[in-house]
Amino acid sequence: MNSILWIILFFLLLFIGRQRGVKTFFTFLLSMILIITYIILMALGFNAITLALIICVLASLISIFMLNGYSNKTKSAFIGVMVVLFIIFVLIYIIGKRAKIGGFGDEALETIGAFNFDINYNMTNVIIGMFLVSAIGTIIDTSISVATAMNEVLENNPKIKEKELYKSGMNVGADILSTTINTLYFALISTFIGFFMWHRTISIESLINYKVFTQNIILLLITFIASILIIPITSFISSRVLLNKKIYSFKKIKR
Amino acid sequence: MSKNKYKIIIMIVISLLCIIFVYNDHFLYKTPILKVTKVENKLESTDYNNEEHYEQTITGIVMNGKYKGNVLKTTNRYSKSLVYGDKIEKNDELLVKLSENGKQIINIDNFKRDKYIAILIIIFFDLILLIAGKKGIKTLISFITNVLLTVFAILIFNNNPSINMLGLYFIISIIFIIFSLFITNGKSKKTLSAIVSSIISLLISFGLSFILMQTYGKNLNIWSMEYIDVVHDYYNYFYVCILLCGLGAIMDIAITISSSLNELIEKNNKIDKKDLLKSGKVISKDIVGTMINVMLFTCFTSVIPTVLLALKNGMPLASALDFYADLELTIVLCNCVGIALTIPISLFISILILNNSRKAVIKHE
Repeated sequence: MNSILWIILFFLLLFIGRQRGVKTFFTFLLSMILIITYIILMALGFNAITLALIICVLASLISIFMLNGYSNKTKSAFIGVMVVLFIIFVLIYIIGKRAKIGGFGDEALETIGAFNFDINYNMTNVIIGMFLVSAIGTIIDTSISVATAMNEVLENNPKIKEKELYKSGMNVGADILSTTINTLYFALISTFIGFFMWHRTISIESLINYKVFTQNIILLLITFIASILIIPITSFISSRVLLNKKIYSFKKIKR
Repeated sequence: MSKNKYKIIIMIVISLLCIIFVYNDHFLYKTPILKVTKVENKLESTDYNNEEHYEQTITGIVMNGKYKGNVLKTTNRYSKSLVYGDKIEKNDELLVKLSENGKQIINIDNFKRDKYIAILIIIFFDLILLIAGKKGIKTLISFITNVLLTVFAILIFNNNPSINMLGLYFIISIIFIIFSLFITNGKSKKTLSAIVSSIISLLISFGLSFILMQTYGKNLNIWSMEYIDVVHDYYNYFYVCILLCGLGAIMDIAITISSSLNELIEKNNKIDKKDLLKSGKVISKDIVGTMINVMLFTCFTSVIPTVLLALKNGMPLASALDFYADLELTIVLCNCVGIALTIPISLFISILILNNSRKAVIKHE
């Protein structure tokens, strides 16, 4: 089944994008290999969170520079992604450790029950890393969209001021925000419908404290927050990088 | 500007009040809540994997209900990996089951996790309002509508389990499309063309997945899916997953294409149909790549814990992926194909609708 889907996807992308479509296909494949490598390296015992951060950086490098080339536009998109990655990492780390969202719930016992659980590898870290990798796709997507749109504004109006350029970035960001949130919502909720069939009669009280439910909701909210945070950050960085200014020059503002 | 500052200050105050509230909402709970005041960890054993097993003695105070103020003791076991089971720490709050006289803890049901969800929801709402302003309010309304519709669908299904699940979610999906596009974009030709393209794209891309599943899907290991044990209609459940997963992405592409074509027409009313198609193709080349990547990262990562556990148990990579990642991959790939299909369909329909309406306007003038 999957091999047929791969072939259909390849030809569809070829049809839509020609050369670029082929590139898109191989970037997709590469990201896939990256995720699987991530799992293998974890199985070999490397630290889950460090690995997740490295994978996120690599994924951004691949999908920003390989697909869109190297320019001021992609450079600012990349820096934006890195900043948000860091902020989101801190947020996930604090919440994840406190909310005890590591590991599996009772629902998974049927599937994983045959396994030995004593694997000497911290599952909370795995979940935290997984959330990071999960969020990186949308961070990259939004960052590129905002930077591309700002670049276009600049090309159409080369004398634009930094503040106006920043505002145009924020405007574009606000426009794509609702569709991004929609996309994420459905992508993440789709395989979660079964949870509610399992717990037909669960009370609200236990639902909102339930491990598997909180895992999914926290992931959903974290990706939302990431996709919103990237908008002002990329707008700010692009407004400086695209106009060939340094990102940090607070002295100038004081004058 | 000062008006804005006031708004921000009010927002921060309200957010802080909400957070303080959820940290002290014990009185709302019927289930007794135990606040842990003291934890003693004792290493029980270390096995061949160097896995450490601990037993914890927990002392805590009941925070609500009839037995408020009672100091109780209980024990908990966990192993260092935390694959199944949790480590309890000081200041954690636990939802527990008490004995009749309130002097003993029978069972630890859950951690109190509601406060973390609440904090994230508050951050999400604040950021959206701060960054997107009025558009943010629209986004929130559309998001909340979607959540309510989802809850509605789940309730319908839970109350009438004999109903055809796929049919139900198909109808709900079309309502999703109409509502969310309408709320965020208002009544316009642009919205209409996005709605029509989304629905047709959904029909065609889902139809393709359906046909492929019927012909080639027999060898799929559908039993490895999460929650499948409680689903009677398991193939339909799988179809619902495919259907919902890409729904947002399809809407995203449809509205992006139709609004950018609409903008081109508004800027230059005499733009040729061929030029429209050309610009549309350039736009679509840009969005398809990042979109399928988003799909991959957001959906496919959910297989990580299970595949990892299988690998750690010595299962070969190929069979671990085959057992625990295959279905998720099918869902992702079906939706990537759907996304790729949506692009030519939306281009065609948007040009058809927007171009026709333009002709009507020109004639009218």
